[in-house]
Amino acid sequence: MSAAGSHEASKDMLTIVHDNLNIWGFPHGPVDFGLGPMNLKTLVMTWIVMGLVILFTVAATRNMKLKRPGKLQLMVEEMYQFLKGLAYENLDPKKGAALMCLLFSLFIYLLFCNLWGLVPTMMSPTADVNTTLGMAISVFILVQVLGLYYRGAKFFKHFVEPFVFFLPLVIVEELSKPLTLAFRLYGNIYAGEVLIAVLLGLIPLTINFFGGFIASVVWLSFSIFVGFIQAFIFTMLTIAYIGQVTAEHH
Amino acid sequence: MDAVIQALGLNNTLVAQVFNFIMLLIFLRVVVYPHIVRILEERQNFIENNVAAAEEERKQAEALRQQYLDELQKAKNEAQEIIQKATKAGEDQAHEIIEAAKAEAARVKEAALQDITREKEKAVAELRDQVATLSILVASKVVSEKITADVQRGMIDEFIKEAGDLPC
Repeated sequence: MSAAGSHEASKDMLTIVHDNLNIWGFPHGPVDFGLGPMNLKTLVMTWIVMGLVILFTVAATRNMKLKRPGKLQLMVEEMYQFLKGLAYENLDPKKGAALMCLLFSLFIYLLFCNLWGLVPTMMSPTADVNTTLGMAISVFILVQVLGLYYRGAKFFKHFVEPFVFFLPLVIVEELSKPLTLAFRLYGNIYAGEVLIAVLLGLIPLTINFFGGFIASVVWLSFSIFVGFIQAFIFTMLTIAYIGQVTAEHH
Repeated sequence: MDAVIQALGLNNTLVAQVFNFIMLLIFLRVVVYPHIVRILEERQNFIENNVAAAEEERKQAEALRQQYLDELQKAKNEAQEIIQKATKAGEDQAHEIIEAAKAEAARVKEAALQDITREKEKAVAELRDQVATLSILVASKVVSEKITADVQRGMIDEFIKEAGDLPC
């Protein structure tokens, strides 16, 4: 078998696995509903994830108890407290409190997105570059707006610091922020899903019964970790960018 | 630019995803977020109140303890004072009794001495009288004819004087 042949075969293998896993019958390409082309699978998965987030948070915040919090309530509270600690450390408490809702929603949404891809035949919405880039651009716009809101005209000063001819560099730096934010998340999650499929395709069923599943299990558990880490990084960087741009001193 | 977008597979999904997230954000903001903030605030207040109450109670207990200690000390002092007073009173009384006894003894002794002296004098006087009378009787019997009354008297006095000088 030639090198080109094996490459062709591996590509075929991945396609076959994806085809086999596509039991819900999602179309491969973008679909046009009259609002322009959209990836139907991503959208459906996003709606499912949104539903899960809503289910989880509503279940956790229903019947909240002061003295004996339930498990779900504790999870949500701990998550909130953790993010609150981060936000209050990096921003001042006043700005942090104003942003807490956004940060909390961002974190829990991304977390559920990242983890949802680990469920068989499902896909992470964040494994689509549209989602991550959309989120990153939103954060980018939010950062600029907050900078303008908190610092006023002084906000534009940081474009020309320390010298005027740093302007192109600063602009490139600013633009690279959403791109890195988007592609870091996308790359990690998409790679995780591809490797799940690859492991499924590489290991024949017979071997799977004799310990071949170990690789998949290890990778899935690592993907859980990655999902948490990436959601955390995205949120943390959002806080950091906002902190940078709203800081009073320079 | 179109080529880049094509290569990345970007399309309107991006806008839809942003819209989706904003919807989720609004939902969470309205339905979920207030509960979390409320419960955390309540818990914070609860803990703060508890801590404040505990601090207050600790202070009260400390004050109470101090008060008890003070009272204990006061009671001890009072007891000491009472004991001292009692001791002093007892000593005084004993002293008084001794003094009284001494005075009584002295008085009794004095009285006894006086009695003795008086009795002695009385006895002496009586004796003297009796001796004189007897002497007169004897003398008058012996020398009734030979001595005058004056000589007789002089002799008797002399005799009495001699008799008075006798120790008795």
